[in-house]
Amino acid sequence: MNIRHPSSSLPPLCCCLAAFLLAGCDMIEYHPYDLNIDGETGINAKNIRLIESALAGRKEISFAVISDTQRWYDETEDEVEAVNARHDIDFVIHTGDLSDFGLKLEFEKQRDILNRLDVPYVCLLGNHDCLATGEDVFRRVFGESNFSFTAGNVHFVCLNTNALEYNYTTAVPDFNFLNSTLDNFPPQAEKTVVAMHAGPFSEQFNNNVADFFQESITRFPALQFCVYGHGHNVAVDDFFDDGTIYYECASAKKRTFLHFTINDNGYAYEVVSF
Amino acid sequence: MPMRWSAFRTFVLLLGALALSPSAAADPLAPANDAPAPNTRRWDKRVHLKYKFWKRLKPTHAKLQYAGGMGMFAAGAGWDYGKRCQWETDFLLGFLPKRYAGENARFTFTVKQNYIPWSISIDEHWAVEPFYCGLYMTTITGEEFWKREPGKYPNKYYNFSTKIRPYIFIGQRFGFSPSHDLLRNVSAYYEVSTCELYIVSKATNRSLRMKDILRFSFGIKVQLFRE
Repeated sequence: MNIRHPSSSLPPLCCCLAAFLLAGCDMIEYHPYDLNIDGETGINAKNIRLIESALAGRKEISFAVISDTQRWYDETEDEVEAVNARHDIDFVIHTGDLSDFGLKLEFEKQRDILNRLDVPYVCLLGNHDCLATGEDVFRRVFGESNFSFTAGNVHFVCLNTNALEYNYTTAVPDFNFLNSTLDNFPPQAEKTVVAMHAGPFSEQFNNNVADFFQESITRFPALQFCVYGHGHNVAVDDFFDDGTIYYECASAKKRTFLHFTINDNGYAYEVVSF
Repeated sequence: MPMRWSAFRTFVLLLGALALSPSAAADPLAPANDAPAPNTRRWDKRVHLKYKFWKRLKPTHAKLQYAGGMGMFAAGAGWDYGKRCQWETDFLLGFLPKRYAGENARFTFTVKQNYIPWSISIDEHWAVEPFYCGLYMTTITGEEFWKREPGKYPNKYYNFSTKIRPYIFIGQRFGFSPSHDLLRNVSAYYEVSTCELYIVSKATNRSLRMKDILRFSFGIKVQLFRE
């Protein structure tokens, strides 16, 4: 009978084991654009559950919009502290560009800083986040590029509007997503807020469909306003002259964020400096 | 939005030129036949194969590296040169398995320049190279990576390459020469490296630690053949 000596398979086994252990260490990296993500994943899904359960039944909500924190880690840390210092904010929306180069490290580091927020947060996909494998990393760490959630009686529709990154060959903005979100509009929601990274008429947006986009989002119940980033400055515009106000949130470098309160009397916003 | 790092690119190019320029000059100066004066190599017992004519095209060593931004594993061959074999140039083909690459496995190609100033022999078999440094450029396959920005973008929109990454590194090596006809020397090495995008990120952020931007890699170098 031929008995295989067990030690003959030991050296390759040891090598595999060593490689596996080392791969778990974040100072071992196969490639800056690999998908070997260190730490927490599925952030948006987890935080949406927290937001929806904490604010269920509320008629007044308060949230902060932050944006374009790419490669401004120090400023992002200060921004997190500034949000934490206030106790009137229920959750935070990041309107995209967590990374500058689409590197895995950038998403991990930004996530670690944003995880220090006392309140839950969600992140949208920015155009820089699409670079190289960035979108794959984003999807794993944060979640889908189109998503929606309900905070109190307000439904938030979060959209990928970075059409230039897809050569206009992918449905960006995705009207099928908008239609199905409208069809499945939650019964507890009475109002709508639309969030995106690149606003209409920016070079990233698919401006050929800008008017149709506006028509689609204004079909949502009681659209309050839209928020977006990308431009790195604070701006308030009525792009389509139809009363729908678009609020642009500044980058972290500008050391400001937007704070909104929505209640039965309408909504209020302020630009908060830190 | 576009970022400015042309100054940094100039710096990397200068560093590369510095590292490569003496190597071009070192070869003609290296003695073709005469062994170096013994007193200059009292501790340094690195073997020079001293190939002549067309045989100089033959690689002097092979390397296998784990991690370091060139895939999970990278393997290839290289040449040593210079009076004390203090220069090494390697060409490495790397592999990034599907599990870490997304839809498809990826391949990398790396050109690596090493400067190994010292080799200290401990006894007739063992030697330590306590410090060496260098740089490498690595490129990766895959449609999602581009060398230059695709034409769809406005001019200088992102202003960097997702496909080509320059790295700098320092390392240590431990060598064993078994006095064998086929196997001349085996060295194990480790390196600490970082790429240019990590350096520019660290430069403007005190909240990024060295731990965030430094990466470890491990490898072996094998010198085969004896004429």
